[in-house]
Amino acid sequence: MAAPSMKERQACWGARDEYWKCLDENTEDVSKCKKLRSSFESSCPQQWIKYFDKRRDYLKFKEKFEAGEFQPSKTSAES
Amino acid sequence: MLLLALAPRAWLRLPQLKRLVCPRTLGGDSLRMRCQLLSRQGPAETGKQGQPQGPGLRTRLLITALFGAGLGGAWLAARAKKEQWRQQRRTEALRQAAVGQGDFSLLDHRGQARCKADFRGQWVLMYFGFTHCPDICPDELEKLVQVVQQLEAEPGLPLVQPIFITVDPERDSVEAMARYVQDFHPRLLGLTGSAEQIAQASHNYRVYYSAGPKDEDQDYIVDHSIAIYLLNPDGLFTDYYGRARSAEQIADSVRHHMATFRSVLP
Repeated sequence: MAAPSMKERQACWGARDEYWKCLDENTEDVSKCKKLRSSFESSCPQQWIKYFDKRRDYLKFKEKFEAGEFQPSKTSAES
Repeated sequence: MLLLALAPRAWLRLPQLKRLVCPRTLGGDSLRMRCQLLSRQGPAETGKQGQPQGPGLRTRLLITALFGAGLGGAWLAARAKKEQWRQQRRTEALRQAAVGQGDFSLLDHRGQARCKADFRGQWVLMYFGFTHCPDICPDELEKLVQVVQQLEAEPGLPLVQPIFITVDPERDSVEAMARYVQDFHPRLLGLTGSAEQIAQASHNYRVYYSAGPKDEDQDYIVDHSIAIYLLNPDGLFTDYYGRARSAEQIADSVRHHMATFRSVLP
């Protein structure tokens, strides 16, 4: 399987960005963005979809972390 | 002693201080000299007192100054010599590194064999990645190409050779590399090879890479360290740039290295 060309990469990234924008607007509600999700899945290799999903998870986690939503547990704070 | 030299006249009025200031019990040349200065009280005035003239204040100062200068000069010379020796040692070590280190033996995207010596005389910006990379490699290569283009636009600067080396020799054949590099820059050179050759090249540049698990259509992602390496015209590894550096910052750094470069090879 040949690697995606620059055009294919850009199509994939565009679809991903649309999908992510939809998620941002709908507070991560996947059911509201089904169409964009299937468009995303058809534009990108499967490995890339898995990779971008993980990346999204990580970016959201990082946002929460930087906003201070995670507090150290009592035990770790005392140790 | 300097104070005394600057204000000999003051002491003219206090000859009796001599006995208080210069107790004979304390030895030391400096004290003795000070005593002699005090007792001199200027060459013009001593004639009346009938004391032996000897070398005047100015002569003593001159001798001391010359001696001090001599010592200082000797110290500076010794320091310069040591610095020179250190530089020679370093140049020798760099010369050995230029030839022995960071070598690779790979195929470019036209099927020609290439090794590090082929790039002697050129500045090289090198990036390790793979063609099936989702986003990082294209981004970093775009950045690398922007750096090359910024420097190309400046007259008087040598051309920088951009190189892309694969960490996925299993899939990145010569043809795959040729298809990939054409999207970025006409001078971007893709290098690939056998698994052993790639392992050797990556080892020489301390590049970590690890192919991930394959999915149903045999696709996989290669986890790898991300850095753009700068090699100078001697083939020596000179600097590296991570993801956080922008194209402008990298271009600035390369410009600086170019300006301060001095070859160690004959």
